Amino acid sequence: MNGKALTRKYANSRQMSLFREYWPFFLLAIPVLIVTIVFIFIPVIYAIILSFFKMETIVSPGKFIGLGNYREIFSDPLFWNALKNGVIYALSTVALQLVIGIIIALILDHNFKGRNYFRGLAIVPYVIPTVVASFTWLWILDPNVGVVNKVVKTLGLGTITWFETPFTAMFSNVLVSVWIWTPFVTLSFLAGLQGIDQELHEAARVDGATWTQRFLFITLPLLKPILVIIILLRTIWMFNKFDIIWLLTQGGPLHATEHLPVLSYLRAFPMFEVGNGSAIATVNFLLLIILIFIYLKKVDIDE
Amino acid sequence: MNKRANFLFKLIFIVLVSGIGFYSAFPIYWMIVCSFKPYVQLFTKVSIFPWPFTTESYKALLTMTNYPTYFKNSIIVAVGTTIITLFTVCPLSYILTRLRIRFAGTFIRLMLVAYMFPALLLTIPMFVIFTKLGLFDTLTSVMIGQSTLTIPLGVWLMWGFFKGIPFELEEAALIDGSTPFKAFIKIVLPLSRAGLITTALFTFILSWTDYIYAFTLIFSDELKTLPLGLAAIYGATDMRWGELMAGSALITIPSVLAFAFVTRYLVQGLTAGAVKG
Repeated sequence: MNGKALTRKYANSRQMSLFREYWPFFLLAIPVLIVTIVFIFIPVIYAIILSFFKMETIVSPGKFIGLGNYREIFSDPLFWNALKNGVIYALSTVALQLVIGIIIALILDHNFKGRNYFRGLAIVPYVIPTVVASFTWLWILDPNVGVVNKVVKTLGLGTITWFETPFTAMFSNVLVSVWIWTPFVTLSFLAGLQGIDQELHEAARVDGATWTQRFLFITLPLLKPILVIIILLRTIWMFNKFDIIWLLTQGGPLHATEHLPVLSYLRAFPMFEVGNGSAIATVNFLLLIILIFIYLKKVDIDE
Repeated sequence: MNKRANFLFKLIFIVLVSGIGFYSAFPIYWMIVCSFKPYVQLFTKVSIFPWPFTTESYKALLTMTNYPTYFKNSIIVAVGTTIITLFTVCPLSYILTRLRIRFAGTFIRLMLVAYMFPALLLTIPMFVIFTKLGLFDTLTSVMIGQSTLTIPLGVWLMWGFFKGIPFELEEAALIDGSTPFKAFIKIVLPLSRAGLITTALFTFILSWTDYIYAFTLIFSDELKTLPLGLAAIYGATDMRWGELMAGSALITIPSVLAFAFVTRYLVQGLTAGAVKG
């Protein structure tokens, strides 16, 4: 028997004796496990089950209609509109967060006086509650009394209606979302930058590599793993964002900022079409499940 | 590099860094400044200092709106959620690390999947379940709802912390005649204090800033939490920007303080998916 197998055998026997001694602990943990399963996994499954039912009211048992809700949403132009808006919103916010976040990280990676204060400032948008960020931006971008439009007006550029036209509404949502969640990219990228061996950069510099070359051929390849995780997580979260869009534009004007989460909320709550709303939410989840699985593969969980 | 180019480079750098500072902090600065401005001045002129300085917006917020009630509800929900989460997470993640249960890894992964679920997909069935249980429109429902978010996060965090504590320490205590439960309380918990604080603070932040669960599970005005209450103030009154900014500033303080304590773990937590958002 080699050493590895021996250790394993020892570990197993130790675990058996552990089990005998730890049973009071199990007694404590089993109710906790049950409660966790009931309150976390059951709603997930129940949500999917609900999407196969048509319900007249919340408390009525509902009628099983198979894939009826799915057929209904797939022939609904508003569903495709919401899907399109969601993709536009998620892709543009993720791309901008990446670009701005990486630029800020590269600047703050330099050594200068007061660097830590500026790093602290750079996380501010991320640590304030979403509700606060949305109201502050609603105030700043208010068409009549907001500070931005007052400046714009003095420059003689007229009034910009930040939330009133379909294009500007989407634009403002993207702007505010990028502002809030860029620090996520900045922080993670900065942490990665600090892990890079400075000697690599020195050597490349001696060999005459320019800054751009060093960034493209040293920094980026070394930080590729962390970049992949950032992109995956950001895409998953941005695809699910509900509160920010709801608080800023409520999906309007003319459904221009209505994406899948907002549409599913509108169906399930104000309109009481619980089955329809669940079906939309389920489709939203199925679209993300591939990304979630790739992420789970990347995050190593040693058992 | 000659002197002139060096100077130019420094100048550009200073401009860039100030730009970052302005971009990140101006909206928050503006929020705080506006909360201390006289009401009329908010709409008439743009001044970057709160002058004349006044706390009239805060007074109006605390006396003329339900803000104090919202604040109380938020405290109850955030503290309640934190307690539920800690009591659930500790035994759960402890046995997951100490006993090599067959599907421990799968369980942890499932927790992460549940955590990444679109919150809205969870709120629809919860709304139905709580209505049937008669718990709709209670603070309890919000606490349970938020726990479905914070428990997976907590298990994920504490699992990492417990894994780092060598089993030999407890083994020594067991040989000395201690019961496993005692060993857990006396040895493991004190050693994982940092983990417990981190988990508690992240839970508190998530609960304090949560909008979605409160939004879908609370109906009555006197049960609203702060984020929801602030939105109610926004919807009910026109042009109360002074009060809104004052209310925003007050919500921000606890969450920024809590974040300040966890910055050390924030970076680790981000890429591990621990911080939702």
